[in-house]
Amino acid sequence: MPIALAPIGQDLRVLKITADEETKRHLEDIGITVNSTIQVISKSGKTSICLVKNSRLALDGTLSMKILVA
Amino acid sequence: MKRFALAGNPNCGKTTLFNNLTGSTAHVGNWPGVTVDKREGMYKKCSEPISIIDLPGIYSLSPYTPEEIISRNYILDEKPDCVINIVDATNLERNLYLTTQIMEMDVPMVIALNMMDMVDKQGDKIDEKELENRLGIPVVKISALKGTGLKELMDRALETSLKARKGKTVLEGCELYHLINDVRIALEGQSIENPLFHAIKLVENDELEVKMHATTIKMVDEFKSTFKNDLFGTDFEALVADARYKYISKNYSPLMTKKEKGVKLSKSDKADKVLTNKWAGIPIFLVILFAIFHLTFGEDFLYLSKIFALPSLEDLGLLVEVEGEMVASNFGVSLLACIYDGAIFTPGVILFNLMDLITSTLFGYITLGLEALGASEWVLGLVGDGILGGLGGVLSFVPQIIVLLLFLSILEDTGYMARVAFILDRIFRRFGVSGRAFIPMIMGFGCSIPAMVNTRTLTDERERTLTLRTIPFFSCGAKLPILVAVAGAVAHMVGMGDGSIISFLMYVVGMVVAIVSIILMRSTTQRGEVSPFIMELPAYHVPSFKGLMIHLWDKTKHYVKKVFTIILASTIVVWFLSNFTWNWNMTGDINNSILASIGQFLQPFFTPLGFGSQLNSFGWVFVVAAVTGLIAKEEVIATFGTLGALFVALGTGVPELAAEGANDVYLMVLGTGITWPALISFIVFNMTTIPCFAAVAAAKGETTKGKFKWTLLFWIVTSYVVSTIVYVVLSWWWTLFIFLAVAVGVVFAIRAYNKKHPVKGVN
Repeated sequence: MPIALAPIGQDLRVLKITADEETKRHLEDIGITVNSTIQVISKSGKTSICLVKNSRLALDGTLSMKILVA
Repeated sequence: MKRFALAGNPNCGKTTLFNNLTGSTAHVGNWPGVTVDKREGMYKKCSEPISIIDLPGIYSLSPYTPEEIISRNYILDEKPDCVINIVDATNLERNLYLTTQIMEMDVPMVIALNMMDMVDKQGDKIDEKELENRLGIPVVKISALKGTGLKELMDRALETSLKARKGKTVLEGCELYHLINDVRIALEGQSIENPLFHAIKLVENDELEVKMHATTIKMVDEFKSTFKNDLFGTDFEALVADARYKYISKNYSPLMTKKEKGVKLSKSDKADKVLTNKWAGIPIFLVILFAIFHLTFGEDFLYLSKIFALPSLEDLGLLVEVEGEMVASNFGVSLLACIYDGAIFTPGVILFNLMDLITSTLFGYITLGLEALGASEWVLGLVGDGILGGLGGVLSFVPQIIVLLLFLSILEDTGYMARVAFILDRIFRRFGVSGRAFIPMIMGFGCSIPAMVNTRTLTDERERTLTLRTIPFFSCGAKLPILVAVAGAVAHMVGMGDGSIISFLMYVVGMVVAIVSIILMRSTTQRGEVSPFIMELPAYHVPSFKGLMIHLWDKTKHYVKKVFTIILASTIVVWFLSNFTWNWNMTGDINNSILASIGQFLQPFFTPLGFGSQLNSFGWVFVVAAVTGLIAKEEVIATFGTLGALFVALGTGVPELAAEGANDVYLMVLGTGITWPALISFIVFNMTTIPCFAAVAAAKGETTKGKFKWTLLFWIVTSYVVSTIVYVVLSWWWTLFIFLAVAVGVVFAIRAYNKKHPVKGVN
């Protein structure tokens, strides 16, 4: 499921990133890679704040729909 | 001289370390992307002086935004003698990702394990000796904030810089290592520097690298056609990123022992639950913004006088009548009047009044002194009217500007700014820019120049252009005197008491113009998709008093310096031009002056805006003031100050408004017969037109070559059109319907055109 719909406060594994090349590379550089662990801390609508390797990342709604986790 | 470069993730403390090493006062803020250009300083405590270069923060050596390119190019091309890689110890894994990339270059490096004070406070431990062993690179524990470990860091960096280092990689166990090695050998054969680094970037398909090594990329493509990985397919860059993180978490992460296992919600997370809440986030931000403007401009602190009926100084019998005017009976009362008069003033206004009291008293003595010395009339005119009249108006605003800057710095230092960018993203996205654009915009309230440079942190070129063009509409500190002074005069004309509400509304008008023009450009010349919003939210912290004061002192110095250089010089020029005729005779009639003839030539063009030909023979002063505003926006009020003194001499009547600037503007009103809608239009024009020369230069520097003329044209057209609408609608309210009809027509025309000519990727 996309991050935008994922439950809050659980460890999730990143399955797939469907964003464009440039964005995907940037996401990887800041720690969101396929197979990495990520946690959603809070959401407002589709936008979300995630815990990635001990830092808080804010992602907009469109992007939150493009990162698939389980 | 040796050069050491500071490299590391955004917001990991590079600039704090830089300031601490070099004794500089570079701006530090608690959000990613404060530093957008490299800067140099000197460290003198080693055996030899060392040049330290602070670089913009980067997450990796594959740049995402323009300011990140600066860092990458510096490390690669300028070849510093040593790279000091700053690693935020509270977020070891993510920070070491960049470390593994710098390691691949043939450059000496040391690691500064920063924020050790935070790690100790949390009771966590890091085995830095073992980390050093495993990395093969010196590791020094420091705290840039507290200043610990810096001497050791620099000594080890100096020692390290003496011997060359060969690049090495953590990707040796990776299934792509074979390919990397082949490409490395090929590049080495072409005698390319940093072969390992370039080889890996080439395998990652890095855009810049592919362009640079067009022949070698074929090797990678060939290999790719035979390669298969279940998880990543042939997405090599994802594979490499994954391999790096895996290596880091297997080999380096265990060296950190946490006191508390697992992730607990921190205080920052709890605060964010409220501050970034879907419903509460934006209202809270608006309240904070209003509070800032209230505390800076409001003449009625917390509206106490509206709640309790407070007596004015006159009611209290503290004023005496002198020549038909009520004035303070002694200096103590004058001081009291700065703080209280029927209402308790807000901090901004109190400081403004105090400064006004000081400058007017001081300037009074200077004039008296000159008279006592028997100075000739023209000297008295130049000093009294020209210089003091001009500077007085501007100087009294210094405290208010500082108060505004103080509040903006507090927003930055606490870490709230990043949150606002996030909560506004949802709204900004509808207008056509990402929330990231909010940061340069709000910086624009302070000064347009750093704001424009900060647009580098935006990924998309169109978004950069849009933001750059609208930054002047976020009225800067130098425009504050125009706002307050003109609004003060308007308030007096329409009987509104004080001008703080009008000032606030003018700020709102500026923001509305920004939004409307962004929407318009996004649907015409700058069509395209809004870039994604990804931003690290730093932990909240209490701003350091010392840091705030250093920052404010820097800004104040800059502003005061400007007053006594550019503005002083141009007020003198304005005075001369307004007192002399073309054949260099001093004239008593200002309308015969050189300045008047220049103004009269331009005046007709401003008729639709309300300050053109409809005014009487003095009407050219507004045009002149607006033009001098191009030198520096403070100049508008300084010009009024200089001319106001001449108006008094002509006997246009002497009004007594509270604030110095407003008084000068009111003199213009009496002299020219301008209406209040035209005055509002005058504010709007100055706010939305071409900014000062310095800001124009900054904007030009951030624009693609050859495209800047469009930005200039945009400013001229926008200011002309918006001011005309403001003047016409405020003068004849029913014209509003005509403008609305035109607006609807334009919207439909654009829609129809865009439907016929769709752009790829736009809905």
